[in-house]
Amino acid sequence: MTSYGEEASVVGSAAALEPTDEVLGQYREMGVLVWRGFGLENIMAQCLGNELDASTKGRQMPVHFGSPEYHFHTISSPLATQIPQAAGVAYAIKRDPARRGQNCAVVYFGEGAASEGDFHAGLAMASVLGGPLILFCRNNGFAISTPASEQYSGDGIASRGPGYGVDTIRVDGNDALAVYTAMKEARRRAIEGNKAVLVEAMSYRVGHHSTSDDSFAYRAKQEVEDWKKIDNPHHRFRKYLESKGWWSPEEEDSVRASQKKEVLSAFQKAEKLPKPRLDNLFLDVYDKMPWNLIEQRDELKRLLNKYGSTWEPWKSERAKFQGAGKEFEG
Amino acid sequence: MTATKLLSRTLRSAATRVPRMARPSSSGPPPPEGHSTSVGQSPLLRTSRDSALKTPGISWLDHDESSGSGIVSGRETRKMNTYQAIRDAMNNALERDDTAVVFGEDVAFGGVFRCTMGLAEEFGNDRVFNTPLTEQGIAGFGIGLAAMGHTAIAEIQFSDYIFPAFDQIVNEAAKYRYRSGNQFNVGKLTIRSPTMSVGHGGLYHSQSPEGFFMGAAGLKIVIPRSPIQAKGLLLASINDPNPVIFLEPKILYRSAVEQVPIDAYTLPLSKAETLIKGSDLTVLTYGTPLYTAQSAISLLANPPPQLESLIPESLRKASIELIDLRTILPWDVETVVESVNRTRRLLILHEAGKIGGVGAEIASVVTERCFLRLEAPIRRVTGWDTPVPLVYEKFYIPDVIRMVDAMAETLTY
Repeated sequence: MTSYGEEASVVGSAAALEPTDEVLGQYREMGVLVWRGFGLENIMAQCLGNELDASTKGRQMPVHFGSPEYHFHTISSPLATQIPQAAGVAYAIKRDPARRGQNCAVVYFGEGAASEGDFHAGLAMASVLGGPLILFCRNNGFAISTPASEQYSGDGIASRGPGYGVDTIRVDGNDALAVYTAMKEARRRAIEGNKAVLVEAMSYRVGHHSTSDDSFAYRAKQEVEDWKKIDNPHHRFRKYLESKGWWSPEEEDSVRASQKKEVLSAFQKAEKLPKPRLDNLFLDVYDKMPWNLIEQRDELKRLLNKYGSTWEPWKSERAKFQGAGKEFEG
Repeated sequence: MTATKLLSRTLRSAATRVPRMARPSSSGPPPPEGHSTSVGQSPLLRTSRDSALKTPGISWLDHDESSGSGIVSGRETRKMNTYQAIRDAMNNALERDDTAVVFGEDVAFGGVFRCTMGLAEEFGNDRVFNTPLTEQGIAGFGIGLAAMGHTAIAEIQFSDYIFPAFDQIVNEAAKYRYRSGNQFNVGKLTIRSPTMSVGHGGLYHSQSPEGFFMGAAGLKIVIPRSPIQAKGLLLASINDPNPVIFLEPKILYRSAVEQVPIDAYTLPLSKAETLIKGSDLTVLTYGTPLYTAQSAISLLANPPPQLESLIPESLRKASIELIDLRTILPWDVETVVESVNRTRRLLILHEAGKIGGVGAEIASVVTERCFLRLEAPIRRVTGWDTPVPLVYEKFYIPDVIRMVDAMAETLTY
């Protein structure tokens, strides 16, 4: 899943935060982690589910990042569930004398997810109970194939904020500096007021929903090309920097080349690593393994011993794991 | 069909009258209408200080390791019903743990079942507070708090209303640790909710939803039967490093009264408790039906006049083992299997409907493990597979006579 077209929304908002502000994302906010220094190795590890995937130990689909160190709560697939959770995170900050007045929580979601009950539940809880919370809606025009015109009849997501008594701003999501500025003010209000603030960033999803999607099945290719030409967050920010003499086409070319190289190199490196140990299948369901999982792990052990070196796909599949499942032997 | 006709289908009539055995409680012969599930008089309740302090499995939270194995002589108890004991547990949690908060609909004034009486006044309304009317909001909020390491004690007003929170509980709370590679967890989340029938609750104030959650790996489910049990199991649930759903049988809030130790203590999770030792049949249940089961066992041994002819002598001598499951998930398979291997017969009792209920899961596991020992099919006595109906409740909730009938059938299979 990519953020093409939404880079200004994601990175612009991330840049306005402290590194210790708690972030709860939906799935299209990798830019926050990149901004915070999560690093390509960690990104690739989770996307490829290799042995370095601390985010999910290979248990979740790509882009389900998580990191206590970078204050980024682990992504889950169900949409909008993070919104009432963020209200709780904000309340915890409010109750913590060490962090009250210093930090906020930020929850990201798309305009589609904002139709979920959890959006309303989260806004109700946050607006009434208080706690420093920024609700950041990336209105990118699509929820897979569903355009915004089929998602809501009201005036976007921003119009709902005043209904909940919450300070609200709508911002040009493709203007990195506008997003940054709005976010800075939202953060100030959230922390000083110990309250929820809603930001709706208007943008456009240039990429497909995911690698399983071909968006030209439901929108004209020309529409996408037009957006890339007319309202491109990269171009707008670059032109601004160049106009100030802070950037040049040569630096642009050089950074693009080196970043592309880094990404490909990280990918190739990550591709070669094995998946985590196979017994991670059974760990971490509870803090301690209960009897049913102990027995089920033993059952898989018995099966692997009996069939694991002859039966496909098990035979070639186990070789992809760290240790090739040898912890199940004997 | 009358109760007597029901029994006569399964029992031979006996000619002799048998003198009544002395009953453990002091209240004389059974009433004319027969044994009822009179919780208040139940011998299962520990109504003296001595017996309360001897509750098996108590682990005192202030226990000093150097003072030897739990000396109880100096400890006090106080008469409490179930809601008072639950309140006492939360009081203790709030006292010991600055991060602890209690929240839900109407908890600030004391709660619709009084479980939070006085807590807001004592600990302040930033720690004990009302939420807007949204179970999914309450559950999600609790998850967020717990993810930050704060002790979140959430209340869902009736377990019939837990379903809006099902996604948050099953997809989020239960999976939080696993899906984050153990980098995050919501072990500090406890969700409490009144459950089971109350006599007049109908479809939406009587449900037993524990079965729906059994498949949510990562969750624990706990159901206490009495005030002493409720306090200890709730404190254990709050302290447990996994998210726990704590279902409180609402009919027991006022009717079950015990001498409850005033000090803080836990009782073990995932350990069933054998209340009556026996050798001919294991009866396994949890929550309110414990009292039904005990009454049924007592009635079988000592039938009232109108049932005497339907319960033969041999059955009256049956030695029946009664087990309180206490933790539904993960459940204590060891205790149950050890018991059934000895008695060779199992009867599982719960208010929840038959299909997909806790009994179905347990019966399946016990069949696997005790197959060659079993002398009778495992019997489940449950609510019927209908929604809980209002005026029909006495015929819906498994009552003493259904239990007696089922025990008799299983014993004579």
